[in-house]
Amino acid sequence: MNHRGLSIRYKILLLLTLVPLVTLSLYLVLAVRVFESDKLAYVFESGSSLARTLSSQSTTDLNSVLSLSKPVMQEFLLSGSFGPVAKAVFESEGKLDWVAVYSKNPEGKFEKSGIVEKIVGSGDRDILSFQDVTPLLSESLEKGRLLRVPFKDDRILLVERVVNDRSPDVKIFMIMSRLPDLANSFRATSGSEVFLVNDQGFILFGPAGSEASYLSQKMPLDFLASAKEKNLNSGTELVQGGQGKSLLASFSRSNFGELTVISVVDRAEALRAVDILIRRSLVFFVLLLAASVIVSLFASGSLTSALTALASATRQVAEGHFDIRVAVRSRDEIGGLAESFNAMAGEVSRLMGETAEKARMESELKTAQTVQETLFPPTQATMGGLQISGHYEPASECGGDWWHYCEVDGKVFLWIGDATGHGAPAALITSAAKSAATIIERLNVDPAHAMELLNRAIYDVSKGRIMMTFFLACYDPVTKLLTYANASHEAPFLIQQKEGDLKKRDLIPLNEVNSPRLGQERETKYEQTTVQLNAGDRILFYTDGIPDIENPAKDSWGEREFIKSIISTNSSFPPIEESVSTMVAQFSEYRKGAPLKDDITFFMTRCSEDGV
Amino acid sequence: MGKYEFKVDKSASDFKVSISGTIDEDVDFSPYQLAGATSVEVHLGAVKSINSCGIREWIKWIGTAGSAKVEYFECPKIIVDQINMVQGFLPAQGRVKSFYVPYYSDDSGAEKNVLFTEGKEFTEQGLQTPPVVKDDEGKEMEMDVVEAKYFKFLKK
Repeated sequence: MNHRGLSIRYKILLLLTLVPLVTLSLYLVLAVRVFESDKLAYVFESGSSLARTLSSQSTTDLNSVLSLSKPVMQEFLLSGSFGPVAKAVFESEGKLDWVAVYSKNPEGKFEKSGIVEKIVGSGDRDILSFQDVTPLLSESLEKGRLLRVPFKDDRILLVERVVNDRSPDVKIFMIMSRLPDLANSFRATSGSEVFLVNDQGFILFGPAGSEASYLSQKMPLDFLASAKEKNLNSGTELVQGGQGKSLLASFSRSNFGELTVISVVDRAEALRAVDILIRRSLVFFVLLLAASVIVSLFASGSLTSALTALASATRQVAEGHFDIRVAVRSRDEIGGLAESFNAMAGEVSRLMGETAEKARMESELKTAQTVQETLFPPTQATMGGLQISGHYEPASECGGDWWHYCEVDGKVFLWIGDATGHGAPAALITSAAKSAATIIERLNVDPAHAMELLNRAIYDVSKGRIMMTFFLACYDPVTKLLTYANASHEAPFLIQQKEGDLKKRDLIPLNEVNSPRLGQERETKYEQTTVQLNAGDRILFYTDGIPDIENPAKDSWGEREFIKSIISTNSSFPPIEESVSTMVAQFSEYRKGAPLKDDITFFMTRCSEDGV
Repeated sequence: MGKYEFKVDKSASDFKVSISGTIDEDVDFSPYQLAGATSVEVHLGAVKSINSCGIREWIKWIGTAGSAKVEYFECPKIIVDQINMVQGFLPAQGRVKSFYVPYYSDDSGAEKNVLFTEGKEFTEQGLQTPPVVKDDEGKEMEMDVVEAKYFKFLKK
């Protein structure tokens, strides 16, 4: 058996599994990409919006602090001290904790010129906790305005440089105010971290614990400088944070000082929904794949079981079991194949039966041929003053021609006949003729009487359906008289011994009497006549199959060539065996192995010189 | 068209038929029964072949003519051979009115069928063969039959 590849069942299984797997995987990749892009855009948009909102809120709150502080500062600048205006502002407004003012003394050192507090002593305690305010004041002197969150709470320290038009002195006001709403806005954001940073990245407000540190420790802030160069007030940036984290940053520059609000979202956190989508999709994929495998197993099992049954049935047919059939369980192509297989097996079975029957019949015909061969005498004989030589060749296994000779009471009887058609039916009639002849020849009757008896036998056997032409002659070696009767058979040719060339007119047909064929009517009377033979005379008895011999082109030999052959093969009156063999050679040369159209039977007799 | 064809011209008492083609075991004479006819005229010039089974059917069919006058016309050689050989092919009361005789030239290989008609080439008294039959090239042709056998039926 040939090596088989992957089973069709597994092929179907692979097909039905791989197709959805590949399709769904592609779909997932595309969906994730689209979803991710969309999510990032959404996060950036949300972050930007939040940054803008808080930036706006920061500007408003800080401007509010500045607005509240302005009358207090103007009062000091005008009067050199904090008076009723400051008192009124601090009483009415809860945002301000204290305001302190510094100026440089003649030695160039900063000195506190005054302070106004909501709670007495709270401002000085705070200032004392700063330890040294000089760096802060120096920086403010340089930059003009500073913002700090010294206590990591909701208070913000605004350091403002004020130049008095009326005095060359530069005053620096330190304003401590409370901005709990703003601080909470940065602390309470969910999903993202929002920072309020100054131009150095110092965090003023942000998530709890992040204040008073530099945001650059968490993430690079190069994009802020770039945005400043490009004069962009807001934007988004994907940056690489610490610990390899990708961060989605949105920023919005505030109009108060150099403040910027930055919203930061961990990219992984932002895309957590994508991970969830992937995980859930994978679960769905696995379930779908499992369902697909189960369905495939059923489908392929149904398909391959039918094919397996067909393959098994085919093997059984190959082993000779032609009665095998397969069940037709569907009306699809497999069902059609099963029906075709059953039809084929049935047809093979029928043909095998026919072949067996044909073989049996051929065997029987072979047996019949063997039996029929026993009906014919030896082709060479000498008896009763006659030399006899013959030839017989049936067109099929069994022939309808028959010839025979026998010696009865010193006389030689010569028999030749041709049944209607040829083959087995005709052969059966020749068999009947032979049987009848065996009995008739014992009766020692003349040819006409013998023919009558033979006719009855043939008629009784065939009931008129098969007939037989027949020629029966009786040669008396003493008188050299040949008595014959004819039942519509080809008249034999008498060739008398002569000197010189043989001519066509030297062929004498023995046709003086003729009667109906054997088997045509039961009570036919047959005539007979007698012809005188001489020593050396020869007679050719034949059936009509000889002129009908065809060559491969299906051209008949014809009567003309037959007559020519008779003349040429007997022209010098050679031994009759030689005449017969030469004639066989001549028509065989013409025939060139082509099938015979009819049986070929002929024999020749020659009267001996001594008579007996 | 089948292997054979019958063209029948039938009146109350006369039956005239022209037969062509092959007469074998497939021939069916049953539509052309001759019972009741007083004369039967059979033209056989277009018959190509006849075998032993066809002869059997022919004899059965022509036997239905009973005592009617049967005449064969334009018999080709194959029919003449059967008339000579098979008793009953031409009924006892039947006559051949015309028949073909094949001629052959050994020199040129030419063949010719010459129609012999009663009253001209043959009579009840005997045969009056044409003195000379020539082919298209003017060469003399000889009769392509064994005369003693072929003309035997004229002696009936």
